Amino acid sequence: MLAPIAVADNGGFTPVAPESPNAEGIRDSYVFVSIFVLAIFVLVQGLLIAFIVKYRRRKRPRFEDGAPIHGAARLELLWTAIPVVILFLIGAFVFIELPGIKNIPSAGASGQLEITVTGRQFYWQYEYPNGVIAIDTMRAPAGVPVRLEVTAPDSDVIHSWWIPALGGKIDAIPGTVNETWFEAENPGTYTGQCAELCGLEHANMLASVELMPEAEFAAWLEQRRREQGSGGGELGKETWEGVCAKCHGLAGEGGIGPRVAGSIVLADPDAIENLVRNGRRTMPAVGSGWRSEQVEALAKYLKENPPSGP
Amino acid sequence: MALKAETPPAWQRGKVASWLVTTDHKRIGILYISTALVFFALAGLMALVFRLQLSQANADVLSPDRYNELITIHGTAMVFLVVVPLLAGFANYLVPLMIGAHDVAFPRLNALSYWLFALGGATLMLSFFAKGGAAQAGWTSYPPLSTQAPGNGQDLWILSLHILSAASLAGAINFIVTIHNMRARGMSWTRMPLFVWSILLYAWLLMAILPTLSAGLTLLLLDRGISIGPWDVQTNFFNPAEGGSPVLYQHAFWFFGHPEVYVIVLPAFGIISEVLPVFARKPVFGYKAIAFSTVAIGFFSMIVWAHHLFTVGLPIPLQAYFMIASMIIAVPTGMKIFNWLATLWRGNISFDTPMLYALGFLSIFVMGGLTGIYLAAFPIDWQVHDTYFVVAHFHYTLFGGAVFAIFAGIFYWWPKMFGRRLNEKLGKWQFWTLFVGFNLAFFPQHLVGLEGMPRRVYTYADESWEGYNLASTIGSYVMGFAFLFFIVNVVRTSRSGPRVGNDPWQADTLEWYTTSPPPPHNFDEVPYVTSARPLYDLRRKLRVERGAREPV
Repeated sequence: MLAPIAVADNGGFTPVAPESPNAEGIRDSYVFVSIFVLAIFVLVQGLLIAFIVKYRRRKRPRFEDGAPIHGAARLELLWTAIPVVILFLIGAFVFIELPGIKNIPSAGASGQLEITVTGRQFYWQYEYPNGVIAIDTMRAPAGVPVRLEVTAPDSDVIHSWWIPALGGKIDAIPGTVNETWFEAENPGTYTGQCAELCGLEHANMLASVELMPEAEFAAWLEQRRREQGSGGGELGKETWEGVCAKCHGLAGEGGIGPRVAGSIVLADPDAIENLVRNGRRTMPAVGSGWRSEQVEALAKYLKENPPSGP
Repeated sequence: MALKAETPPAWQRGKVASWLVTTDHKRIGILYISTALVFFALAGLMALVFRLQLSQANADVLSPDRYNELITIHGTAMVFLVVVPLLAGFANYLVPLMIGAHDVAFPRLNALSYWLFALGGATLMLSFFAKGGAAQAGWTSYPPLSTQAPGNGQDLWILSLHILSAASLAGAINFIVTIHNMRARGMSWTRMPLFVWSILLYAWLLMAILPTLSAGLTLLLLDRGISIGPWDVQTNFFNPAEGGSPVLYQHAFWFFGHPEVYVIVLPAFGIISEVLPVFARKPVFGYKAIAFSTVAIGFFSMIVWAHHLFTVGLPIPLQAYFMIASMIIAVPTGMKIFNWLATLWRGNISFDTPMLYALGFLSIFVMGGLTGIYLAAFPIDWQVHDTYFVVAHFHYTLFGGAVFAIFAGIFYWWPKMFGRRLNEKLGKWQFWTLFVGFNLAFFPQHLVGLEGMPRRVYTYADESWEGYNLASTIGSYVMGFAFLFFIVNVVRTSRSGPRVGNDPWQADTLEWYTTSPPPPHNFDEVPYVTSARPLYDLRRKLRVERGAREPV
């Protein structure tokens, strides 16, 4: 509706260029509000500067009285009523845009995809309807409405799911399932990150959505299902990089967590399972509730690619 | 009122001892202000350290835990140890003087309030040395992050806030009783200075909201687990695994937290309503509208809290309600802004330092108010919530609003407190550096927030955010530099500032009727109050009595 006015990012003067109808609705609301905000800003700063210039003392005596005006009921009524009207307009515009932002579009020929998004310290875990698990990078088909069920395990803390180009954020709260969605046309990678302070590595809890043509996505999903069934593939690598490496380093060299390169735990699948499921001292139980496939995939990856440290 | 002129025992008469045992509201006010300024310096230095960490992508100045400690204590201290106590200090000093009273209603309770504040502040600052360091869950300390936090920093954070709440409550009771009962003869509600109106609302608000904060904090403490004698108590109010709700805490916190914003900003408004008319040589435009809008803002501030919870997944009708309620606050706030502008209209404006700060306040606060509209419109909030846009917004209201007003107040009432004027030249240097530094530090944060940078991240990899952050960091150091002017000014003035009379600004309210600084009992006699501008009336009467032609 207001798309021609707001071009791309504008260096931060408008939200990130929207790629999904909900993000577009938010951007339009933002632009609509901005019209009034700019007008009021200019009016107030303009009056302020004008009065400062016009009514400065100049050569008058310091304590000479200004005009003995105590108020003006009509004027005051006016600047009470006009903001009410403006706020009414803004409210109305928001409510007109709201259904397009909140409601997921009805599914077309290819249906709708549902993905469960679980926020955990300090990674995003995605689960597809066929049981495929992915971490941090979500693959999704272009042109298909994708419904996200956003949550966090009872033992974890609050996180917030946010990919700016694909809509507003929604909190991932332990014990609660929230919902959001996107539907984007253009294949590409859209990035975002956790938006609720969740602990030490909050800053590195990045998320991205890789949007691919529908057929390509279907092929990817099928391949991942087969790999996962045979205990291997990308899942082990994604788990190491997304779950373990944020604290222990990509090569196991250590970070906010201790160095693990060369540790005997990494060569022992049972020890790995015990560690990720129960945590240890300040390390959270990052793998509590994982399906055994995921633990096996991690163990297999670590066996084949033991982190060697720097 | 019978004033007992007891001579204090010898040990209480010393230079230091007399301050330690004082129950004089003026001395307590000065203690409040000076202690809060020390905390201001500490919390400001914390910001300078973490701004250094953020000045570049992938910087390595601070570890994540140190960073989280610094932002948590910076935020908590700025709200609870700096801005609120600074305004409480002004209220202490000014309310009895402005209403023509000899002291507050309960002077000892007042002293207790100050010492509790000092104790609470020390508790928070010393928590850096606790096992596991200071609290790291942000100034809002949401569970489960705050309930799971190891060490004692979080417990001390809770303890400190409990002590500070008790301090605020004692102060609030005192102000309410004082204002309701001890006004000078003739000072009806509509002749009361607007600053006193703002303190009345500040005090009533604190009474209404502090119990909720205390309840939320107590539940948080119990959820973390405490030992009472032989019993270990550990509850699950916010623990979802046992049927608790983490969002419940957010409601409790923000039922307090949002009105707290107005607890801060209403007295700041009050200062502006006192300063603008004096330097524009006009009565304030629409006294009744400003007093009424103070009451309206106070009331509405208590029914808008959940606009801080738009992303937790509240039902849409609830979000719609909180949007509308939040927007309604913009109306009385707008009334104030336009009334202040109209106060300048056809005035005779002088630009002394207090006035510069008041005008700077107007310019900056408008910006903070306007960005609030985006945050109130809940779908837009889904996009900007918890980003640097919000950080920019609340610094425009709390720093640009409150701190600029506080400096207007410091420069305006300094001659009353100490009988000397602060140096104007240094004051103006401080103002302009602060104004420029502030906008450089915080304006770019709106932009980087819209670009997708969340708040409370200790690092970032996106190099396109670097420019904004570097500007912010430079701005923050310019602001730090501005405060050096103030320190120099205070040191120099205390030795050699020019002495001034009782009423150097030819102001209108009763505090200027007595000497500068006022005697311990404030007034020898208090004139009958004939309007909201008693001193203006007196000056006029004097001129008429001297046979001068009455000014039109």
